[in-house]
Amino acid sequence: MTVVVFLVLFLLSSISRGRYPSGGADVHESCNLTRRSEDFEISEKMDDIDAMFSDLLGEMDLLTQSLEQETAAPTSLPTTTTTTTNNNKEVNFSIFTDLNESLHELEDTDLDALMADLVADLNATEEKLAAEIQGLKVPSPPPPDLPPPPKGLSAHHPASPASPAGSTGSNVSTPASSSASSPLPPPPPQSTKPTKEEIEAQMKADKIKLALEKLKEAKVKKLVVKVLLNDGSSKTLMVDERQNVREVLDNLFEKTHCDCNVDWSLCETNPELQLERAFEDHENLVEPLLAWTRDSENKILFKERGEKYEVFKNPQTFYLWKKDNKALKAIKDKDKEILIKENFCGTSAIVPDLEAVLHLKEDGKKSWRQRLFQLRASGIYYVPKGKTKSSRDLVCFLQFDNVNVYYGKDFKGKYKAPTDFCFLLKHPQIQKDSQYIKYLCCDDACTMNLWVTGIRIAKYGASLYENFKTAEKRAAVSSVWTNRSAPSCSNPSTPSPTIKAKSPSHANGHAQKPQPGPTSTDVGGVPPPPPPPPPPPLPSTSTFPPSPPEPVFAPPPPPLAAKSSPKPAFPQQHPPPNFPLPPPPAMDFPPPPPLPPIADHSEAPPDFLPPPPPSFGSLSPLPPLPGKSLPPPPPPCFRRMDQSLPPPPPDPGFLPPPPPQPMFTGAGAPPPPPPPPPPPPPAPTAAPSAAVRPSGSVRKMPPPPPKRTTPTLPAGGGGGGGGEGGGGDFMSELMKAMQKKRSVP
Amino acid sequence: MCVSPALFSFPGVCLLHSVRPVSFAPRSLSLSSSRSPRMAGWDLSVTVEDLGPDAPPVTLSVTSDLHVGGVILRLVEKTQIKRDWSDHAIWWEQKQRWLLRTSWTLEKYGIHADARLLYMPQHKPLKLGLPNGITLRLHACFSSPVFQTLMGICRMLNIRHPEELSLLRPLEEKKKKKDKDSAEEIYDLTEVPRSSGTLITLHSLSRPDMHTYEEWLSRPCLYNGMPAHFADSPKMEAIYKMLSVTQPPPAPEVVAKQYRPASVVDKAHINGRWLDSSRCLIQQGIRENDRLWLRFKYFAFYDIEPKYDVVRLTQLYEQARWSILLEDIDCTEEEMMLFGALQYHISKVSQSEPKLLSSSAAMDDLESALQSLEVKMDGESSSASEMLHVTICFRPKKLTLKGYKQYWFKFQDTSISYYKSKEESIGEPIQQINLRGCEVAPDVNMAAQKFLIRLLIPAPEGMNEVYLRCENEQQYAQWMAACRLASKGKSLADSSFQSEIKSIHSFLAMQRTNPSSHGNTPANDESINTHSLVSPRYHKKYKTKQLTPRILDAYQNVAQLSLTDALTRFLQIWQALPDFGLSYITFLTNRFKGSRKDEVLGIAPNRLIRIDLGVGDVVKTWRYNNMKQWNVNWDIRQMAIEFEGNVNIAFSCVTADCKIVHEFIGGYIFMSTRSREKSDTLNEELFHKLTGGHEAL
Repeated sequence: MTVVVFLVLFLLSSISRGRYPSGGADVHESCNLTRRSEDFEISEKMDDIDAMFSDLLGEMDLLTQSLEQETAAPTSLPTTTTTTTNNNKEVNFSIFTDLNESLHELEDTDLDALMADLVADLNATEEKLAAEIQGLKVPSPPPPDLPPPPKGLSAHHPASPASPAGSTGSNVSTPASSSASSPLPPPPPQSTKPTKEEIEAQMKADKIKLALEKLKEAKVKKLVVKVLLNDGSSKTLMVDERQNVREVLDNLFEKTHCDCNVDWSLCETNPELQLERAFEDHENLVEPLLAWTRDSENKILFKERGEKYEVFKNPQTFYLWKKDNKALKAIKDKDKEILIKENFCGTSAIVPDLEAVLHLKEDGKKSWRQRLFQLRASGIYYVPKGKTKSSRDLVCFLQFDNVNVYYGKDFKGKYKAPTDFCFLLKHPQIQKDSQYIKYLCCDDACTMNLWVTGIRIAKYGASLYENFKTAEKRAAVSSVWTNRSAPSCSNPSTPSPTIKAKSPSHANGHAQKPQPGPTSTDVGGVPPPPPPPPPPPLPSTSTFPPSPPEPVFAPPPPPLAAKSSPKPAFPQQHPPPNFPLPPPPAMDFPPPPPLPPIADHSEAPPDFLPPPPPSFGSLSPLPPLPGKSLPPPPPPCFRRMDQSLPPPPPDPGFLPPPPPQPMFTGAGAPPPPPPPPPPPPPAPTAAPSAAVRPSGSVRKMPPPPPKRTTPTLPAGGGGGGGGEGGGGDFMSELMKAMQKKRSVP
Repeated sequence: MCVSPALFSFPGVCLLHSVRPVSFAPRSLSLSSSRSPRMAGWDLSVTVEDLGPDAPPVTLSVTSDLHVGGVILRLVEKTQIKRDWSDHAIWWEQKQRWLLRTSWTLEKYGIHADARLLYMPQHKPLKLGLPNGITLRLHACFSSPVFQTLMGICRMLNIRHPEELSLLRPLEEKKKKKDKDSAEEIYDLTEVPRSSGTLITLHSLSRPDMHTYEEWLSRPCLYNGMPAHFADSPKMEAIYKMLSVTQPPPAPEVVAKQYRPASVVDKAHINGRWLDSSRCLIQQGIRENDRLWLRFKYFAFYDIEPKYDVVRLTQLYEQARWSILLEDIDCTEEEMMLFGALQYHISKVSQSEPKLLSSSAAMDDLESALQSLEVKMDGESSSASEMLHVTICFRPKKLTLKGYKQYWFKFQDTSISYYKSKEESIGEPIQQINLRGCEVAPDVNMAAQKFLIRLLIPAPEGMNEVYLRCENEQQYAQWMAACRLASKGKSLADSSFQSEIKSIHSFLAMQRTNPSSHGNTPANDESINTHSLVSPRYHKKYKTKQLTPRILDAYQNVAQLSLTDALTRFLQIWQALPDFGLSYITFLTNRFKGSRKDEVLGIAPNRLIRIDLGVGDVVKTWRYNNMKQWNVNWDIRQMAIEFEGNVNIAFSCVTADCKIVHEFIGGYIFMSTRSREKSDTLNEELFHKLTGGHEAL
C-alpha cells in the first residue's frame, strides 16, 4: 500500500514539477532525476502536494513495517527503512490504518500478479543462484506489500534501496550508500569465508570469483532517472551504477525509436548555474547524478548535439583552426582521416594547441578580465603580463583532473559576461555558485566550441574517439535496421508526433500507451497487470522489486494519474502495498507500456523496462479503484494533468497504445493522464498518502522504493544470487500473506 | 674524376603518395674512365691493415682484367698470415669507396696503379653513446650504408624498428678540463660474435625481414628474457641490464654541467650532426674507436610493445628524460613536476621490480580481492579498515588563523568523522566528511615538525577547505595515505594502502636528508635529490624543500603505476608537449633576392613549421599530406618544396646539410607508410628511395 501511495505522489509531484518548470526556461526539455527533494521543491502551487508527498513517504516506511508485522512476512525491508520511519511513526499511524484497508481491497489481484512475477523470476534465477549465496538469505519482505518483496530482493542489493531513495528525492548518494553498506557487508563475509580456505582448488577459486561478483553486484547503486526529450515528453529509466552513458543511450534509442545518429547525447542541465554539459559516452551515468543536491532542479535531456563528435567529422576546424576558412572548407575527406589518425591513433591523443584571448570572470567579482590563454594537454595556462609565450613562463590556470567543462547559458545576463559564449569549469560535485567555479567567456561561438572540445580531448583523450566509433557503429546498424523494419517500428515512433501535441493530448497518448499492456490485463481487472509483468519478470527476478524502482519513476506517471483523477480519493482507497507498486511502474513505464505490447520482450530486459510492465499490471488493478474514487480525483487531476502534461508527451511516442486506451481507462488509464478514470486509482492512493503526509513528517524517506529498484537489477545479474536464499522465504511468505488476505475478505 | 658534381645536380623529386625514386644520377661510375685496358701487367700496392701501421704496402702484379676477388686472394697469400679474412675488404682511399663487388674487375672499378688501397676489416669497434648516457664499445660495420649499420647495431642491442634511430656525431667536448680524471665506464660488446649481431647487416640486404617480431621470436634469441648473446656470461647480463633498466637519476651537478641548448638556433645546430644514412661510416670520416651517439631521430614511434621492446622503451624514456632535463624541449612548471614525479617513481620501481613481468594476473586479482575481503571481514574495528586518531583539525580557509582544535578522528571507508573526544566516538560524530573526489595536498615541514594535510572537499556549494594536522610523521603518513586512497574512492582495505604509506615515508625521508646531502652526494636509492629530477632552471628557482612537496604532490597521481605504465605515461606526456617531435634547422630563404635573414625550420612527424626568430612564433605550418613534391638541387644545395594550392618554398640550409633536411622529410614520410599490414618487414629500399637522394642509386 504504502508503496503505491508513494508512487502516486511521486508521479504527481514530478508531473507537477515538470509542468511548472515548463513555464521557466528549461522546462520543456528538462529531465529530472526523480527525487523526493525535487518533489518537495515543486513550485509554490505544488507546495501542498509536496508536503503531502513527503508525509506519504514517511508513512510509507511505517506502513511497510507494520505490514510486515501483520503479514508475518516482513523482515528485510524494514531494515533499510526503519531509520527514517522512527520519528514519524506515531503521527502517521492513523493514516496507516487507512492505507491498510485500501491494501486489503486491492491485495488479491495484486498478489496474484506478484506471485506470477515472482515465480517467473525465481525460475529464471534459481539456476543462477549459487549455494554460496544461501547464507546471505535476506529476510523476505511482507508478501502482501510489494514494497517489502522488493526490499527483500533489494537486500541482496543494498544498492537498490539506495536508488529508490535517490529517485524519491532524498539525497541520492547518502541513502544509497548507507543502505548498501549495511546490508551488503554481512552477506559477503558469509559467502566468501568458506571458499577462502580452499582457494587452492581452482573450482573454489571460480566459486569465490562468482561470489565476489555477486557481492559486487549487491552493492550496485541504481537510480531511476527521468530523461526529457526534445518534444517535452520524458522517459523514465532505471540506471545502475555500472551502466555507462552509451548503454543508457542505447536504451533510449529503443524507447524512442529515434534515428540513433551519433549526435544523440545525454545532457545534464543545472538551472541554478545555467549550465549544460553532455555526458561522454564512456562515463557512468549514476555517479554524476549522485552529485546532485536533493533539491536540485537539474535535468537530464536526451537530444542531438552536433558538437559532440564534431571533432571527428571536421577535425580540421580543431586542429587547423589557424588556417583560414576557405582552406578548411576545401579539405578533403582523406585529409580529415589523416588528421584523425594523427591525433587520435597515436600513443596518446593530441590536444589541439589552442591559444586565444578569453575573458575570465574574476573570483567573486562581476568583472571579466582578458587574458591570453593556452590549452595544453596538461591543463589551461595563461601568459602572465609582460612575459613571453614560452612554455616556461606560462602560469597554470587549471588542470583537468578534477573538473568537467560545461557550457554556460545566458551568462551575459547573469554574470554580465561580454558575450553569451561562455563555458565554465568546475568540480562535478559543485552545484551552486562558488569561487571554485571558473567562468570563461569567448568572443564567438566558434572559439567556445574549439575550447570546450579541446578541453574534452585533453581530459578524455582517445576514449572520445572510441566513443565515436561505437556511436557510429550503432548508428549504422540502426539505420539499416530501421530501413528494414520501418513499418513495424513506425507505431512506436509515432509517439513523437503525438508528443508534439501539448500536454493534454499527450496525456491521452500517455494513457493509451500504458493501456496496451494493461488492456489485456485490464479485462481481468487487477490481474491484467500480470501480462505486463511478463516483461518485467525477466528484469525482476524479484518480480516486484523491479516495480519498486519504478515507483521512483512512477512519480512522473502518477502525477498524471493523480491529476487526472482524484488523487485524494483514490489514494486512500487503494491498498497501498499492492497498488503502490503497480502504479509506480505504470508511471515509469507508461512509455514502456506502449512498448510492452510490441517490444516488451526485447526491450524490457535491457532497460529495466520490465519493471514498467509490472507497473502496468499494477495499474490495471488500480483502475478499478480509480473508478470508484474517480469523481473526486478528477478535478485535481485536471490541474495536475496540465502540469503533468510533460509526462504524457513521452507516451505519445507510444501512441500506438491509444487504441488500447479504452481498455486502459479501466485498468491502465491511471498511469497516463488521459484516462481520467484510471488515474483515480493511483491518485486515490496518492491523495491519501498526501493527506497523511501532511500530518507526518515530510522528509520521510521512501526507503522501500529504493529497495525495489534493486530488484530489477537483481533479475539481471548477481541479484539472482542473493535472491536465492531470500527468494524462497519471500515466496513462502508471500503465499502466506496471500492466503491470509484471501481469508480475510 | 668519374662524375662531376654537375651530374648530380638533378633535383631529387619525390611525390608524396606515390613514392618515386628520388634520383637520377648516372649509375656506372667506371664508364667515364679510360677504356683502353692494357692487358699488360702492372703493380698494384695494397696496404694491409693487419700488418701494422708501419708495414709497407704489399705490392701485387696485376692486370686490369683481374677481378677484385683475385686481388684479395693473392694478397692474403702474400701476407702469409693465417686467419679469418672473411670480414676484410678493400677500401679505395682516394675515391672513398669500398671494393665490395669481388667479381668486378679492376678495370670496371677504374683502378690504376696510383690507387691507394687499404685491405681491412669491415667491422671495427666503435664507441656508441646510448640515450641513457652510457657508452658501449661494439663492432659496427664500416662498409655498408649507415642505415644498415644501424640495423645491425639495433639488432645486437635488441631494439626493434631501427629506422627510427640514427647516429649522431657527438658534441665536441671541451677538452680543457680534466679529461682523464673521470675514466668513464665503457661497456664492451666487442666480443659478441658478429653472427649474432653486426654481421647480420651483411645479410640483411637479402633478408630485409630480419627484424620482425616473428624473426625475433622464431630465432632462439631470448633466454631469460634477453637475447642469446647477452645470456652468455654475467658480464653480458650486466650489459643487458644496463640497456633495459632505467638509470638512476643523475646528480644535479651532472645535469648542470651538460650542454644545454639555450635557443632554437642552438637546437638547430644539433641536427647538423646526423650521419647520412645512405653512406657508410668511413665515408663520413668516422674512424675506428670514434665516438657516436645513438639516438631516436624520427619521433614517430611505431608499435611500441612493452613485451618486446624493453630496451627500446627504456632508451626512449632515457632520451625523453634527458631532453626534459636539458630543456631540449620546453615544458611548463606543472609538467616539469609531473615529469619529476614520474622519474622518481620509475627509478624507484625499476630498482625494486623484478625485470620479468609474469605471473597470472587473474590469480593476482583474485588474491587481492580476497585479501581486501578478508580485511573487511576481520571486522569493522580492525585497524586496517579504520583508524582512530586524535588529530587537530582546523577548518575553513587558511586566513582564519584561529588555530587548530583537537578532535577525535575516525577514518572509515572513504570518510572521516570527528568527535569531541574519544569517549563520544561511539555516538554521532560532529561531522562526517566523505573524501571521495576530494583533493589532497601535503603541507609538510620536517624541520618544523609540521605535518598538515590539506583537503579540498567538493560540496554542492563549492570546495571546503579543511586542514588536518598530524602529530608526527607516522601518523601523517597513515592519514595522508588514507586520504589519498579515499579521494580515489578506495577504502583503507585497499591493497595499495601499505605501499602508499611507504612511498610517503620515503618522500619524507627525502626531505629530511636533502639539506645535508645538498652537496655532491650521489643519488642512492633511498634518498634521491629532487633536484636531479628537474631541469637546472628549477635548481635556482626552488630549494629542495620547496621542490619536494611539489613533486610529491604530482607524485600522488602516479604512485600506483607499474613500471611499464609509468614509462608509457612519461612518454605520453612528453609526446603531448606542443614542441614535441620538432627538429630544428636554420635556413635561409630568398637567398638570391637579397634579404638574408636566418629563419628556423621545424621538422615534425606530420608537418613543417617556419619559426620567426625574432618573435619565436610559428609563422607558417605546412603539412606533409599537402605536399606535392620536394626537390633538392644538390648543386646549389637548395631545397624546393611544393605544396598543394601552388605553394612553393625554396630555401637553403644553414646549420645542416640539405641532405639532412631531405632525409628528415623523406624519413618521416617513410615512417608514415608503415602500417599494421606491412609492418613486419622493413622496406629498406623504400627508405633509401625516400631519403637517399642521388646516392641511393
